[in-house]
Amino acid sequence: MAKVLVVAEIKQGVLKGSTAELLSKAKAIGAQTAVVAIGSDIESLLPDLVGAGADQQYIADDARLALFSAGPFAACVVDAARQFDADQVWFGFSESSKAVAPRVAAQLDAACATEITDVMFEQGHIEVIRPAITNKVLQRVRINTERMVAVVRAGAFAADPELAGSENVVRLAPPPADLKAVIKELVSEAGSEIDLADADIVVSVGRGARNQDGVELVKALAEELNAGFGASRAMVDAGFMAHNKQVGQTGKIVAPTLYMAIGISGAIQHLAGMNGSKVILAVNKDPEAPIFNVADYGIVGDLFEVVPILRQEIKKIRS
Amino acid sequence: MKILTTVKKVVDVELNIHVKDGAIVEDGLQYVINAWDENGVETAVQLKEDSGAETTLVSIGGGDNTDVIRRCYAMGIESGMHIDDPALEKADAFIYARVLQKVFEAGDYDLVITGKQAQDTDNGQTGIILAEYLGLPCVSNVIGIEVLDDKHLKVSRSGDAGTEIVALELPAVVTVDVSINEPRLPQMRGLMMAKKKAIEKMDLTALGTSADEIGCAAPKSEIVAFMATEKRSGGRKFEGDAAEITARVVDLLANEAKVL
Ligand SMILES: Cc1cc2nc3c(=O)[nH]c(=O)nc-3n(C[C@H](O)[C@H](O)[C@H](O)COP(=O)(O)OP(=O)(O)OC[C@H]3O[C@@H](n4cnc5c(N)ncnc54)[C@H](O)[C@@H]3O)c2cc1C
Repeated sequence: MAKVLVVAEIKQGVLKGSTAELLSKAKAIGAQTAVVAIGSDIESLLPDLVGAGADQQYIADDARLALFSAGPFAACVVDAARQFDADQVWFGFSESSKAVAPRVAAQLDAACATEITDVMFEQGHIEVIRPAITNKVLQRVRINTERMVAVVRAGAFAADPELAGSENVVRLAPPPADLKAVIKELVSEAGSEIDLADADIVVSVGRGARNQDGVELVKALAEELNAGFGASRAMVDAGFMAHNKQVGQTGKIVAPTLYMAIGISGAIQHLAGMNGSKVILAVNKDPEAPIFNVADYGIVGDLFEVVPILRQEIKKIRS
Repeated sequence: MKILTTVKKVVDVELNIHVKDGAIVEDGLQYVINAWDENGVETAVQLKEDSGAETTLVSIGGGDNTDVIRRCYAMGIESGMHIDDPALEKADAFIYARVLQKVFEAGDYDLVITGKQAQDTDNGQTGIILAEYLGLPCVSNVIGIEVLDDKHLKVSRSGDAGTEIVALELPAVVTVDVSINEPRLPQMRGLMMAKKKAIEKMDLTALGTSADEIGCAAPKSEIVAFMATEKRSGGRKFEGDAAEITARVVDLLANEAKVL
């Protein structure tokens, strides 16, 4: 029987949905499962960790793990993987995962597959599906080693609400610090805002909004909808939006029920981050903008005129 | 400071890509420098200009890489090598990292700069695995580098909760994101000069290793087939009076798509 270790995704002290999604997939293929949680002051997450559905919980809780550092985090994952004798280590999709997974693979002499959307257990070996070339093609990749480390693309697997775990806690010794790459500071960009990855609706602003006034206009729409507020790279590079608000190949991958692209042209690198959305609405003044090729509903118009009306109409319909 | 920067020749992602019988149709494809590597080259050249670093590039595989390497020379890279060998045909990130390890060990470098991922595979692994093989510190997804002294850099990376500031001791590996800088356009004069510059070409033997030592026959993973991505098709596009069409679309979002 396969043994799958899932790395818990914890953001600002909260256990994220990807953990239960990955554990559900592991259970569905009949694997024995464990979860490893890494951070500081995370003891209170134990009920959630058990609830996420694993048979066993490895916990590395140490003040020195408060800030992300790839070396120590990888050491914790490797420690848990060895104790559990995992043949699979799965990460949810995040910048931290992308930094840690290849290290863990190298240390476990395992194959490494990033951004996978599916995993199949064929006769005697594993195959995974993953997008490549900015989402223009899918690859079917054969894993030749017994062990595999994978980063799973957001939204690839669904959580099984029935899944229940059992409490079997193993506490991990704190890892040695990385003395040669010392994390000094986190310049936090994440406020109390809605996490893009969790949001049911995401509103994103592009270069069409031109300036801070344009950004505020679109932000007001996001707030009206209680939506996550994202951006294209153009707006991040111009300094109007924080890095961790960027949607796309080099940013967040989102798959909300409704995605609103406001003043965004629809470059392939942007599409790679949002084309899994259920419904896409685009507002763009250029009727030929490529975003209209993927949008379910398109409004051709000036966003400075359209967005306030959009907000009014939504307010009306919701009250 | 001696810098080694890696450059890969990749398929131009902006062009149409077709898949037939599990393979990518080669006809009509064009090849360019990997976007993230171009940012890596720019980073190296800026460190040369600002801190007197020496810059060397290495490119692995890809057949004729002359244009890509000359472009980097024209941007300001001082020397370059191209490593190609039939044994690398099925190379995965681990095999590339083993080859880079050999290059690093032959050269006494202080800093390796790689793009954070390559546009053909989007794997994002090679630089990080290289650091593991070399036992060096590594920061990935880097968006800023500041030289503190001969042995130390202050590096910022884009992380999940914000920008992480890391004190990095050399020798080290960094993988850079596109937002670290805006790569300069090579000038005509630079491109002319680049033609006169040598490119050191090597196979694995010339590099002082072998397909066996690198493990070329046993990639940890291999692509068995390509498939077309499911294409989304556009739906309805509304033009005309802003108030009218916006109200109509909101109604459709609520009552047809049922997402409001
Ligand atoms: C390696 C690499 C990685 C990248 N990663 C990402 C990524 O992760 N995310 C990302 O977004 N991009 C990424 N990019 C950049 C991407 O290629 C585009 O440059 C970027 O997405 C463009 O942003 P934009 O659509 O806001 O701007 P533009 O392309 O300039 O589009 C602006 C749009 O606004 C419209 N407009 C202008 N004025 C108005 C108005 N008054 N009302 C309505 N519409 C208006 C215009 O018609 C136009 O369509 C990447 C690029 C590379 C090379």
